[in-house]
Amino acid sequence: MNHFLAVAVLVCTVGLLFMLPLLPAFVELRRKSDALPLSVVQQNAGEIRHFANSFRDYIKGLEPIMQGCVAAGTFGTGILPDGEEYVVLGRLDEPLVRALGQRDATHAVVIAVGTDLIAPPHATFSKDIYAGANFQGGEKNNYRAILGEKDVHLGASSRVMRWVHAVGEFTADSSCSLFGRISSDSLIRLHANCSFLRLNAPRIEVGHAVNREQGLPDSGIPSNAGVLPRFLHDGDFEVHAGQIISSNIVIRGRLLLRSGVRICGSVKSLDDMVLEDGVSVEGSLIGAKKLSIGPHCTIHGPVVAERELAIAAGTRCGTWEHPTTVSAPSIEAEEGVLVFGTLWARERGQVVAGP
Amino acid sequence: MIYVLYSIVFVICVYTGRHYWFTLNRLFGFQRHPYIDIDTADWPPVTVLVAAHNEERVIANILDALMTVKYPAGKMLVIPVNDRSTDRTRQIIDKFVEDFPGRIQPFHRVGGKSGKAAALKDAMELVNTEVILIFDADYIPGAGLIKQLVAPFFDLEVGGVMGRVVPMNVNANLLTRLLDLERSGGYQVDQQARMNLRLVPQHGGTVAGVRLSALREIGGWNENSLTEDTDLTYRLLLNGWKTVYQNRSECYEEVPEVWPVRIKQIMRWAKGHNQAMMTYGFRLLLGKHRATLRERIDGTLLLGVYAMAPVTLIGWALALAVFYQGVAPLHGVIAVLSLTAYAALGNLAAFFEIAAAARLDGTRKRVSLLPFLILGFAVSIFSVSRAAVSQLSDLVTGAEFHWDKTERFRKVL
Repeated sequence: MNHFLAVAVLVCTVGLLFMLPLLPAFVELRRKSDALPLSVVQQNAGEIRHFANSFRDYIKGLEPIMQGCVAAGTFGTGILPDGEEYVVLGRLDEPLVRALGQRDATHAVVIAVGTDLIAPPHATFSKDIYAGANFQGGEKNNYRAILGEKDVHLGASSRVMRWVHAVGEFTADSSCSLFGRISSDSLIRLHANCSFLRLNAPRIEVGHAVNREQGLPDSGIPSNAGVLPRFLHDGDFEVHAGQIISSNIVIRGRLLLRSGVRICGSVKSLDDMVLEDGVSVEGSLIGAKKLSIGPHCTIHGPVVAERELAIAAGTRCGTWEHPTTVSAPSIEAEEGVLVFGTLWARERGQVVAGP
Repeated sequence: MIYVLYSIVFVICVYTGRHYWFTLNRLFGFQRHPYIDIDTADWPPVTVLVAAHNEERVIANILDALMTVKYPAGKMLVIPVNDRSTDRTRQIIDKFVEDFPGRIQPFHRVGGKSGKAAALKDAMELVNTEVILIFDADYIPGAGLIKQLVAPFFDLEVGGVMGRVVPMNVNANLLTRLLDLERSGGYQVDQQARMNLRLVPQHGGTVAGVRLSALREIGGWNENSLTEDTDLTYRLLLNGWKTVYQNRSECYEEVPEVWPVRIKQIMRWAKGHNQAMMTYGFRLLLGKHRATLRERIDGTLLLGVYAMAPVTLIGWALALAVFYQGVAPLHGVIAVLSLTAYAALGNLAAFFEIAAAARLDGTRKRVSLLPFLILGFAVSIFSVSRAAVSQLSDLVTGAEFHWDKTERFRKVL
């Protein structure tokens, strides 16, 4: 073979091999098949009612049919614009309602009711449910999502896979599993052994919580005191019973707040933190590890634990006027806990039977 | 000479190991997003500073967006910091002030020192809220962003907050696509891993926040700094304050569309970063302050990121020199140097970080552009090295740093 040709072939082959990894790059550069900006939803403000509001818009087209069915006392079926089957119920003694009542039945249709809806027990509703008034669910039901224009009540051991929104009160009997978002415009009440993830309502009662609205005694700090000083401590720290601390506290270690301690600012601990009986914190409470809040504590600001959070009975977080967020990957709340605002367990939330 | 080369290889390997650690942490480790769930609170008053110097192309977009964000009425004041603009920036701002009475308070700066830090420093006379957010004028915040950036300030250890920057003009050309990948790796993996590992997430000076009392404690904005964000990060750290990163607090930005602008930008960043390294490096690593050991080590490595470009070039030159001198059988060292140089300095976000970031972002095909990063790497290593040389010569001649504003590419409204 000609030497020059051999060298040329070698150079070309090596060049081609060198260019080979770049081939997909050139193809993508030319085609621009993945060249849109990363999707950032500009209007997304993390609103918990987002799905409920979208579903209300989605079902709006059925409103005349719902009104017609209620007026005539009949039911209607059909297909929604996106191909989903629906059933509109006009009254509760229809054959369809009785069909819903079959044990272990599965209903893969969107159900819309212009009035109250009573769901029979032991049923699975794999599509969304709309109740124009109250919704009353039987025990051991499985739901995908429920929107109730008045109260929503779930029977014991029911499961919700995506979301529930009640314009009125939401209550879940014992041992319900609430995956996804649960919201109410007035009150959420969970009974013993319920599990939850994200809850939002002006008032969230774990079990039957008693509201202790009485104000805290005067701390002696003027209301115009401005930004409180920050007390920063490296290592473990303990605040003795009954002490009043008029500063923000940041502890780079374990923190123990003994009974009756009052912190007039915010508290942060980089390790485990324990609040004993009757502690009150006027600002936020942030724990980088495990946070344990004893009985009858009062926390005004957000409560965040980066690992685990345990809240004992009688504790109140936030107020009606100033709702707040209580958040951790894992939350155990005893019956008798009261939260105004958001209670958000990223991985696992559990109601524990009270003492 | 050979020991200098070994030292360089060692340092580059340290950076490479660090990038691997970050990537693996992001893929398999515990992810920290402690404040992102705070959606209900008694939100504090906040001031939003919008730094603007000749921003007629973009200023209306950000003011529009800020007027529609979800934050309690009466608790948010926007202060556009119009720094000696000679275009229509002032008129556009004044029109917004008219249209949204009480919600925007303009700060028209007509003289004084150049640079963003100097302008922000002067604007502080109008600020009286404990929480301050800062945006550059080319950013477009979403509806929930303000609350997300304010939420970490409920933690009294937090002095600064940084959100995620997402390029919006990705589609323009190869450069914007490479910058999109680079940003993705830098934020999605690098910054979040540092947040996860309690290291030193960096304040970016935009899509960011700072606590007023912390800022006062550290002496306010440093108008002599070319990168006020890096400067702020380290002064906060040295004074016992943390900067936290919120990966889910995303905000669109415009990235440079032409190479000269990109080169200017990265040279300014390099100079500012090196300036911070000279000022705080030794003190951070060995001084008496409240930073933890891992913060000291990571913070020092972070400060040295831009210095690695000239160091790598020196390493390459030394490797060639010792090879031709026949000093030692260095083939392995040269291979390690070549490999790690690319890995450690692929536009400051190593290629595997970028691949991991693309996976985490759920973007599949753009990762095939990865080989082109060698182009960005080549431009960066020489630009950053040039910046370092220029900085050294400035030190000798006593020349002052000057601020180069990044050019915008959006069409004028």
